[in-house]
Amino acid sequence: MATIGNNNINAKLVLLGDMGAGKSSLVLRFVKGQFLEFQESTIGAAFFSQTLALNDATVKFEIWDTAGQERYHSLAPMYYRGAAAAIIVYDITSKDSFEKAKKWVLELQKQGNPSMVTALAGNKADLEDKRKVTLEEARAYADENGLFFMETSAKTAVNVNDIFYEIARRLPRAQPAQNPAGMVLSNTPAEQSKASACCS
Amino acid sequence: MQETDLHDLSDDPDYTALQHQDSMSNSSSKSVRMCDSSKSEIVYSKENVAVHPSQYASERISGRLCIIKQGSSFFLTWIPYKAMPNLVDSTGRKSNSNVSDNDRNLYTIRPVPLSDIHSIRRHIPALGWQYIIIVLSSGLAFAPLYFYNGGVREFLATLKQHVFVVRSADDPNVFLLNDFQDPLQKSLSSLELPRVLSVANGTPKQGSPNEVSSIYDSMRIDGITASGTSSAFEYRGRHRRKTHDPTHDLSIHVMEKFSLVTKFAREATTQLFGEFHEIHELLHDRKQKDSSPLDAVVVSQPNDTQSKADNIVATSDSTELDKLSLVWGKPRQPPLNHEEWETFLDSEGRVMNSKALIKRIFYGGLEHELRKEVWKFLLGYYEYESTYAEREYLESVMKLDYETIKSQWKSISEVQAKRFTKFRERKSLIDKDVVRTDRSVPYFEGDDNPNVIVLRDILLTYSFYNFDLGYCQGMSDLLSPILFVMRDEYEAFWSFVALMERLGPNFNRDQSGMHSQLFALSKLVELLDHSLHNYFRQADCLNYFFCFRWILIQFKREFEYEKTMHLWEVLWTHHLSEHFHLYICIAILKSHKKKIMEEQMDFDTLLKFINGLSNQIDLDSVIRDAEALCVCAGGNGAACIPPGTPPSCPVDLDAGLYDQQDDEIL
Repeated sequence: MATIGNNNINAKLVLLGDMGAGKSSLVLRFVKGQFLEFQESTIGAAFFSQTLALNDATVKFEIWDTAGQERYHSLAPMYYRGAAAAIIVYDITSKDSFEKAKKWVLELQKQGNPSMVTALAGNKADLEDKRKVTLEEARAYADENGLFFMETSAKTAVNVNDIFYEIARRLPRAQPAQNPAGMVLSNTPAEQSKASACCS
Repeated sequence: MQETDLHDLSDDPDYTALQHQDSMSNSSSKSVRMCDSSKSEIVYSKENVAVHPSQYASERISGRLCIIKQGSSFFLTWIPYKAMPNLVDSTGRKSNSNVSDNDRNLYTIRPVPLSDIHSIRRHIPALGWQYIIIVLSSGLAFAPLYFYNGGVREFLATLKQHVFVVRSADDPNVFLLNDFQDPLQKSLSSLELPRVLSVANGTPKQGSPNEVSSIYDSMRIDGITASGTSSAFEYRGRHRRKTHDPTHDLSIHVMEKFSLVTKFAREATTQLFGEFHEIHELLHDRKQKDSSPLDAVVVSQPNDTQSKADNIVATSDSTELDKLSLVWGKPRQPPLNHEEWETFLDSEGRVMNSKALIKRIFYGGLEHELRKEVWKFLLGYYEYESTYAEREYLESVMKLDYETIKSQWKSISEVQAKRFTKFRERKSLIDKDVVRTDRSVPYFEGDDNPNVIVLRDILLTYSFYNFDLGYCQGMSDLLSPILFVMRDEYEAFWSFVALMERLGPNFNRDQSGMHSQLFALSKLVELLDHSLHNYFRQADCLNYFFCFRWILIQFKREFEYEKTMHLWEVLWTHHLSEHFHLYICIAILKSHKKKIMEEQMDFDTLLKFINGLSNQIDLDSVIRDAEALCVCAGGNGAACIPPGTPPSCPVDLDAGLYDQQDDEIL
């Protein structure tokens, strides 16, 4: 995929959400294509990077994966400060995790960069039979708060790349090239051309 | 759908840099204004406020705490009194004989703008001295300041007159400064990565030294610094008076030279090690101008290696020297086995020479079969002086005690649980973590593994035993090897309790236990590797958060299971230092120093790199390097570590140990 020099973007992205919602699993699926049934908890924070190619640009995501427990909440600003994008993750089988997600949204609205692209991810979408948060409820909340929303499954990979692509498309494009190096994902989701057309 | 503004450049690096410049110029214009209004006044002053560098009364440093007003800005400062060499205490010795000017300089708080202070935690124990801990926005904290004459409340009241102070919603003893957030935000610390530099060298960031230096100078109590204000900011005193002086950091030069010598004289390692401490101390007392570090090397090294070493030393710079590993820690020994263990016990089972035992374990660790028994001594669950019979009795008591505590949550019915949110939430936290703790270790492998349930039960019981602390992510990592070794629920529980007596503060909600360790780490790196320290400083990495995981769970994620157990028993001996884990951190950082500096890693890259070292670290060599670093640092190293830094016991044991609210309430 050809990219034009001025359209290479570096974007800091932070993952927030309740513990066990699947933040690390989402990143590992996106960055390494892996899934571990018992992904260990994140202590402190982890950092990953991954580059995506769009039609007109490449976006290098610098991804901060954070510890989910409330106890470590005070460290979170260190990681979301200056972020261009955030994915707030909840677990569709846990009402509590959805409530925690709302608190993160509120916090980012107050603390974060106003132009931050914020996505809401309802993870573990493969566990339909254990669902506690309905699609409609989450979508309504996302619409009210100007978030874009997807249900994802790190386990089956459903919508995982898509959510990152969608964020990439929504990032402001006026940045000059900083660091075009990096690997390019080859599997682009089907809806990409449609969505990017509507944004460009 | 929300479309972001195309003209918003706030995530553009250049734009951000521009903004940064803006803010820099703002602050410099602020300083100009401040210089114009040259009047400064002391708005608060408190005598007999002290720092306790160690548990020894002779090492306490008293001083004066002040708030200075300069223009419209306020600064806080603490200045130690000058040592009084004529003062002789009742035992006939000079009092404070252990406190050097260097120590005084180390702890001196140069004027810090109140705007750089994030929070102040106060401790007002029923017995003993009140003290405060000042935490800066960077996340680092100063050593506790003890108010010998009381007055913490008055201090806070004065502070409130000059700066916005609000009590933390999470902890009534924490006062947040400059916190204009809504209640949801009150638990957030405003840790800002770019603002870190000021702390570890005690220098306020925003040009303030100049502005307040005049009043600071006039206030300085005679003789703290040898030569004026500039050296006041070089806490190592005479060794670091000039940072550009190639011999400024004598200790590290000596270390680097030694690493070189020992490369050519590995067989002499042990001998060198034995001599090293003496020479280091010798050097320390000599004036730098008439000694070269090389002299020391010549003195101590075996004759046959002298010329080779001279050559290399003469042609290498210090970065190149770092390629060579530090190899003078004693060679590791085979693990202690059953037969040898028996020789440490008398006929009734008492450990006859616990010091020798500790040293033996430090240098070799334990054979796995011995761990179940010997870990209990190392953790303080057993006393070294206890007999077989006493331990047997203790076990029977502990077993019953455990059942009692466990029954507290076991007896909670479903109906009751519905009305007990904290219990449900806590249980849910633990349930989420135990199923993902060490599941690749055969002991915890597979579906419906009963050991996972035991892990869960112990953690839940612990969260009732220590309800204030509760459960926190990372605890399951600490418990897992203990359960694996003990293979018994109640024994694992009490061993875990004993470990948490030391490491519990790692999980404090205000992160105070972690902050104090990261602060000590930054001080130690400054002492032991000045160029690495300078690198971290210019890379805005002095908060050392990239070492957070190492410290929080004692390197559990960095080594294979067996190696972790080996490292833990070494750490638990507390041989050489209670804080040997910090020297382990430095040894690992030093071994990758060249890569870190050459690749100019920033915080992100550094964190990624450090996390990626998992299972790549050679434990034996790291322990040996850490040993060498620890011996080299000696008393100066110990003085870098504030009292009460985990795993040391908390300073006030009479108050609630974990005075914090539950997690689940935001």
